[in-house]
Amino acid sequence: MTKTTTDPDGRRIGFRQGVVVVEPFAVVRAGLVRIIEASHELQVVASAASAEEAMAIIDRFPGKRLVILVAMGLPGEQGPYGLIRALRERSPQHVILGMGANADPNTVSRALFTGADGFVDKNVEVDEFLTAIADSGEEHVVIAGPAADSVGSIAQGIERRRSATFRLTRREREVLEIASEGLTAREIADRLGVRERTVTTHLARIYGKLGVGNRLAALRLAARSGLVSIGEDE
Amino acid sequence: MADTVRAVVAAAHRTVRAVIELACRELDVTVVDTAETAAAATAACRSNAPDLLVLDLDLPDADGFRVLTDLDDDRPGAVLVLADRADGDLVLRALRLGARGYVTKSDGLRELPATIRRVLAGERVMTPALEREAMGALGRMARRAREGADVEAGLTPRERQVLEFLGGGMTIGQIASRLGISPRTVETHVAKLYRKLGVRTRVQAISRAATLGLVDL
Repeated sequence: MTKTTTDPDGRRIGFRQGVVVVEPFAVVRAGLVRIIEASHELQVVASAASAEEAMAIIDRFPGKRLVILVAMGLPGEQGPYGLIRALRERSPQHVILGMGANADPNTVSRALFTGADGFVDKNVEVDEFLTAIADSGEEHVVIAGPAADSVGSIAQGIERRRSATFRLTRREREVLEIASEGLTAREIADRLGVRERTVTTHLARIYGKLGVGNRLAALRLAARSGLVSIGEDE
Repeated sequence: MADTVRAVVAAAHRTVRAVIELACRELDVTVVDTAETAAAATAACRSNAPDLLVLDLDLPDADGFRVLTDLDDDRPGAVLVLADRADGDLVLRALRLGARGYVTKSDGLRELPATIRRVLAGERVMTPALEREAMGALGRMARRAREGADVEAGLTPRERQVLEFLGGGMTIGQIASRLGISPRTVETHVAKLYRKLGVRTRVQAISRAATLGLVDL
């Protein structure tokens, strides 16, 4: 068994934590890769522009524990929360960090509730950004950026989501989240790969459980209790 | 005198109160009332509407958090919590309830005037170590909430009912007659519950369910 020596900050000397950057904008992605690579403690093992690319990449590193930065502005069918959930389920050994741009507590609480281990904001100094990523690799929960001042609000947000999901099944929550994007039942069905009839049944059950009569009321109630976010940042 | 800062001090021990009052005097903060119990502290805040509450969690009738939950939106704008120990869950709870500062009595009383000044200026005040503890507690909380939601989503309505009754201390027989089903059926539900909760005994099931927020004990 090798003896690991540590530096004054407690970091293992000579060890560079592997990082995966998932960021849709090429210029931002390139910048992130560059500053992370310049750190002695971190190493970019791969980068991805989409959720699909990210999931494909993860399969290439079965044994390692990686820190995966997921940009909250990720577009596409899954979006950042879908990716966080999929990563959590597929490879629970990795550290997942939500990466925001002036993210509000609601975004952070949703990211944590969905499965992120922490959150870093692009609105911090580079040093703080890199330290946060390195710390998360050492299994510390990190929240860096504007949201760090709102730990109380984030905790409240998590509690609200928890009690709101109280009666909905996972599938129903999924349907409601997608419905909040303004899609028709048909489009929701396409996204989930099920029949339209199945979606309308789910929606009817959701309305019943939430005690509302229509989609608008359901979404309003869901937004108020933090179950979905309408109009996300980025 | 319009701009004087008014404070309520809540602490059980006279020495602690004295140190706090001394710090307030240094800052020209007027202590309008002191309290030795949670009930008195709540009443003092209600009748005085202070700008600042310095709250020792170690109170004889209830923990200091009770004051904050009772006051709710009526709590003072600046709340500084004093505690015996550095505990992530306590810090997180304090932050959730709107406190701006959290200091331990062993370390924090020395710097009290500076701490109070910063809290009044709107700063969040706690040592980096306490902040790390709070983050850890937040992470654990998020994980429990997530697992709780996932486990719950996998339960049928019937299983949820049975779990609630188990948490309430009912026997298989009592649950059976309450639900109008046979004890055998209840036992089948219970077995499925244990599997979904990842436990083997009733005590474990109730404990796990409580941790995940599925039942209130």
